[in-house]
Amino acid sequence: MGLHSYFGGATIQTLKMAAVPASASYSRFVFSPISRNLVALDSFPRHSPSPPFPLLARALSMAAAVQTTPPSSEDIGTATGSVGKPQWKAAIDFKWIRDNREAVAENIRKRKSKASLELVLELYEKMLAVQKEVERLRGERNAVANMMKGKLEPSERQKFIEKVLNHSASGKNLKEALASFEEDLVKLSDELQQEAQSIPNMTHPDVPIGGEDSSAVRKKVGSPREFSFSVKDHLQLGKELDLFDFDAAAEVSGSKFYYLKNEAVLLEMALVNWTLSQVMQKGFTPLITPEIVRSSIVEKCGFQPRGDNTQVYSIEGSDQCLIGTAEIPVGGVHMDSILAETVLPLKYAAFSHCFRTEAGAAGLATRGLYRVHQFSKVEMFVLCRPDESDTYHEELITIEEDLFSSLGLHYKTLDMASEDLGAPAYRKFDVEAWMPGLGRYGEISSASNCTDYQSRRLGIRYRPAELAASTNPKKGGKGNLAPTKFVHTLNATACAVPRMMICLLENNQQEDGSVIIPEPLRPFMGGMEVLLAKHHTG
Amino acid sequence: MGLHSYFGGTTIQTLKMAAVPAYSRVIFRPISRTLVALDSFPRHSPRPPFPMLARALSTAAAVQTTTPSTESMGTATVAKPQWKAAIDFKWIRDNREAVAENIRKRNSKASLELVLELYEKMLAVQKEVERLRGERNAVANKMKGKLEPSERQKFIEAGKNLKEALTSLEEDLVKLSDELQLEAQSIPNMTHPDVPIGGEDSSAVRKMVGSPREFSFPMKDHLQLGKELDLFDFDAAAEVSGSKFYYLKNEAVLLEMALVNWTLSQVMQKGFTPLITPEIVRSSIVEKCGFQPRGDNTQVYSIEGSDQCLIGTAEIPVGGIHMDSILAESSLPLKYAAFSHCFRTEAGAAGLATRGLYRVHQFSKVEMFVLCRPEESDAYHEELITIEEDLFSSLGLHYKTLDMASEDLGAPAYRKFDVEAWMPGLGRYGEISSASNCTDYQSRRLGIRYRPAELAASTNPKKGGKSNLAPTKFVHTLNATACAIPRMIICILENNQQEDGSVIIPEPLRPFMGGMELILPKHTGKLTG
Repeated sequence: MGLHSYFGGATIQTLKMAAVPASASYSRFVFSPISRNLVALDSFPRHSPSPPFPLLARALSMAAAVQTTPPSSEDIGTATGSVGKPQWKAAIDFKWIRDNREAVAENIRKRKSKASLELVLELYEKMLAVQKEVERLRGERNAVANMMKGKLEPSERQKFIEKVLNHSASGKNLKEALASFEEDLVKLSDELQQEAQSIPNMTHPDVPIGGEDSSAVRKKVGSPREFSFSVKDHLQLGKELDLFDFDAAAEVSGSKFYYLKNEAVLLEMALVNWTLSQVMQKGFTPLITPEIVRSSIVEKCGFQPRGDNTQVYSIEGSDQCLIGTAEIPVGGVHMDSILAETVLPLKYAAFSHCFRTEAGAAGLATRGLYRVHQFSKVEMFVLCRPDESDTYHEELITIEEDLFSSLGLHYKTLDMASEDLGAPAYRKFDVEAWMPGLGRYGEISSASNCTDYQSRRLGIRYRPAELAASTNPKKGGKGNLAPTKFVHTLNATACAVPRMMICLLENNQQEDGSVIIPEPLRPFMGGMEVLLAKHHTG
Repeated sequence: MGLHSYFGGTTIQTLKMAAVPAYSRVIFRPISRTLVALDSFPRHSPRPPFPMLARALSTAAAVQTTTPSTESMGTATVAKPQWKAAIDFKWIRDNREAVAENIRKRNSKASLELVLELYEKMLAVQKEVERLRGERNAVANKMKGKLEPSERQKFIEAGKNLKEALTSLEEDLVKLSDELQLEAQSIPNMTHPDVPIGGEDSSAVRKMVGSPREFSFPMKDHLQLGKELDLFDFDAAAEVSGSKFYYLKNEAVLLEMALVNWTLSQVMQKGFTPLITPEIVRSSIVEKCGFQPRGDNTQVYSIEGSDQCLIGTAEIPVGGIHMDSILAESSLPLKYAAFSHCFRTEAGAAGLATRGLYRVHQFSKVEMFVLCRPEESDAYHEELITIEEDLFSSLGLHYKTLDMASEDLGAPAYRKFDVEAWMPGLGRYGEISSASNCTDYQSRRLGIRYRPAELAASTNPKKGGKSNLAPTKFVHTLNATACAIPRMIICILENNQQEDGSVIIPEPLRPFMGGMELILPKHTGKLTG
């Protein structure tokens, strides 16, 4: 039979065996320590190694060809049982990857990603072949079924039945062969999905190629302040000004937790209020988001909620996690929906608390507020048309720079090098500010253009208006609508409060131990101009 | 040996059997008295099957608290308490009638009989242990002298027997003391003499301000107002997080920020120290504050693979700040106003008022917390409820304050005042805050004492050694909601709505919203095509 002549048992064997290393790489996906993590994906990414786990896809997409399927089941506690089965599917454009294999391979090299393009393409070809075979068999089955509808001689009928029953040399009948192929197809498509999810986003042509040191300085504002007295770090200032309590938090919660006290509370409130008021003036819609989300949303945004070294806190007995950044719940606002082109761009400024395990952060700058388990942040998030994302990326970094300049910080903006990009980022601008206590620049924000990496996972599309407008208004049916496209998403830190506090306290300290409050924040602190040392004893 | 004549094998058997039901009840039974019931949202929970500990006006601290010795992760030692409350068992025994009466009043399931039985047994074993130790020492002393070999052999034999008996008794003592601790932890706090006795209906109205607004137009609830004003997104949150989650949008964000800022500025003027707290804490702290972080029906979200939980109220991390410490009397009272996000599973809340913002998994709250000398806690309780009432009056709410009835008190509360505000959408009063005096219930668990100054001052300054210090006492703790944001938003939106669909922002909040006076309906197009 055609089946075996084309796609014999041996081939199937090969195929199944080929699947084994693939599933082995699943277990890699799920269980191996993930060093490319939350820290590395938004505002605090400098020290993570190059990504062993970048996920998906390509940037400038043509029309969406692949349908995303919404998460079909909760993944509570099934982590070990169905390792190879994706909980949800990204709308990855495999055809594009195949047609641009050289560019994709080059991109994987540039970003030092461990994604295996060869495996993806192999799985894709195999899947196509099986798909073709399934279609052929379906056709055959239908043909037989049609013939049997007509009047037939009993002997003739018997021949058809036998044809169906004894379809192949292996003794399988048509129905069984089809069922077995359909199973293979599902498995292959799952494997392909898993493997392809580790392909990183494409890279903006202007991104410097190489490791962290290759990152290019885009802009530099101010210069390090020279102190005529001995500098205190924010921990010491905080002690003298009675602003933090790390010791009590270590007992109550664990290390790297803290209480903000007295003026530190006012400073946090002022930073959040001022930042929100500034970005609202730029047309951003303010949000306060849930801080507990389903883990599938975390994954769809390109983060890894599972594994030994995950940055993500999980809720016991549920499929929920704590967010590490408001990028996650904001990314989810328009999940699985088709937006009207006229509503784009959507610009959000979301205030949330963020929670991070900081697994694997030992040895990094961990003193005081620099690296903590919980902090407040205002995050900007933009959904826009693909042709506009570069422009909005520039807008976002400009907003950040304006905010930091207004606060009087000395900082530089970097165009991050290819190996330092998280899998979702097409390009990333980091801002690093001078921190006298550390004696170096420390990252205070990050602005990433994720193009369609997240929207292909979250299922966020829009329907272009032009085509619909150009059609005959009389035929206003659905058939005349333009095909949907995936939006581009961008995210950028407007204000990560603790690092801002480090900068403000350390840079604005005076010889008498007081700290000057930046002008823009004063109206949000009841006019307070200076933080004075406390003179009360316990 | 004396041991068996007094305290035979059968007695120990009985004792061990008695212990079984006690443990399994404490640890495994679903706990229906939960977070919801213990601070600002307590109205609808059933009565406490699990009130814990102790008594109110304590004499000097006699019992030493032990700090949690091991992490509570998945260990099989069910019956072992992870930490010990400094419960004054002697006081309980000496006041057994008052304690029994209190347990009845509060409809608590604590078993005073069992506690007293365990206590007496423990005392007896303790006595026996001491007696055996004495005997062993006597034997050891005799063996120091010169002895005939046969004589020595007799003493060696006796010493060996004594040692075995002692080891076994000491083991029993540890077990008994653990059992006693677990059982006694379920005894509720004593009750203020003015608290009305009975169920929720017996709660007494202390104060009433304003009257329900009469609407000359069809009134909308906060969900509909929020929809027209584009203030919330419950649908997206249901997809992203689950039901009872929400996004605040546009002016709702400003309203939240304004409420927090205004509330903090108000309470700071009253001498409260502002705090922003950790929202992840060790579960032992949750327990020490009188909440139950474990069990099927717990209100508490736990972090996977750790002994940490999410806080349901800032009362927990603030209660923990001075844990295991002795404060100077001069530093009291300590008054904190803590801003935090709060997280609650709302298990078992099905069927309650669940529409919109009334009962949600996450919300922002400013919580007041006071640590003070025992004799001052009633006065600070009055101060706290007055601050709450002033805040709500300033916002123009119509509300009433209740002195909550005995059966409606959580185990830690000696007395509790709730404020219920008129919610036109619900067509009834809804709880918006709660102020509790927990006396020494929490401080005996958290180990927070102070050292009275008087005695130390009266002693000879030359002999300024430690022996001259006054004995420490447990502080009293109080907690009170200054502003639970979502219910405040319900009140403001529903009560301040106008016929044109707009909502008037209360005057005090306007300076915190850039002078905004009104929230106006949006005229944006539909987002989805």
